[in-house]
Amino acid sequence: MSRDARGWRVALVPDALINASAVAKSSLPQVLEVLEASRYGLLQLPPPGEHALLLAVIADQVAEYSHHGYAVVAIGVRGAEPDGLHWRRLAPLLRNRGVALPPRHLIRADRDAAAESERLATFLAGYDLPAAEQQRWRG
Amino acid sequence: MEHSPPRKVALLASCLLNQNAKVCQGANYPGVVTPVVEALRSRGYVLQQLPCPELAFAGARRWWAVYEQYDTPAYRAHCRRLAQAVAPLIEQYLRRGDEVILIGLDGSPSTGVRFTSSQPDWGGRPNRPEDDWQIVPRRGIWIEELEAELARRGLPPIPATGWALDMGRFDESGTRRDLEEFLDARAAAAEGPAGPEQP
Repeated sequence: MSRDARGWRVALVPDALINASAVAKSSLPQVLEVLEASRYGLLQLPPPGEHALLLAVIADQVAEYSHHGYAVVAIGVRGAEPDGLHWRRLAPLLRNRGVALPPRHLIRADRDAAAESERLATFLAGYDLPAAEQQRWRG
Repeated sequence: MEHSPPRKVALLASCLLNQNAKVCQGANYPGVVTPVVEALRSRGYVLQQLPCPELAFAGARRWWAVYEQYDTPAYRAHCRRLAQAVAPLIEQYLRRGDEVILIGLDGSPSTGVRFTSSQPDWGGRPNRPEDDWQIVPRRGIWIEELEAELARRGLPPIPATGWALDMGRFDESGTRRDLEEFLDARAAAAEGPAGPEQP
């Protein structure tokens, strides 16, 4: 192996957007397809529930990416309660690890799914680390 | 308690949804390993990503390593913590009657299912020649610890296979065929010898 194809960008994604129910599928963008086309990997947030230890484990991974040249974003669902990102518990875990909170993009399930896919793709394409940081870590 | 029909759940090695988790020079895709996702979703599986044990332990800029180097009490304790973090979700799936499978990463010292990488004399300055390791039929450390945690909870073994990304030379079409055969064999077994029930 001599080449490396990683995209250097990671999205936090709620379970509900990865495993949308049959009903919800028609009203939500195909997030995995958009992430793939945008060269993002993902970290899956668990479904609603406590998951205290799992969120801490996820925060550890986010910290490692954030401190080593990876761009990290979060994708939630507007209007959903909660937004699927466990933000109230995840945000302090990230702060405790010295991580700036990732920019959040909220998908609107009440809008056209194709338009929301485009809006998500635009958000993903438009975010990355400053050029100097990219150069420092990615060569 | 929710009473929805049983689902098909695939537990996935972290890097199958996020190639940024791979060791340097180990990423074959930008992010999502699409052939794995396609094979699973087209057969009705929902996806559950597992944590990456190496990333949080040895870091994003870790050296390549083999099974023997990760086989330490500290790394096993780290893997047990991760297993305890995700086991409640897996237990929930199994107790509600979902069909659960595991797709690991064959050749990985941590996430290998059918095979892991081995070289007992690796250590010291990381200047080994290319391909200077063996592929041996064995679980990786993380999978061993995850299975042990599930067994401690009295849960049955989970049918598992691996995406052969870390076997030295990656053959995407071959490993895709392997995965599809594994999934289709599961489906055939579920249908039984007489085929699926007719309405």
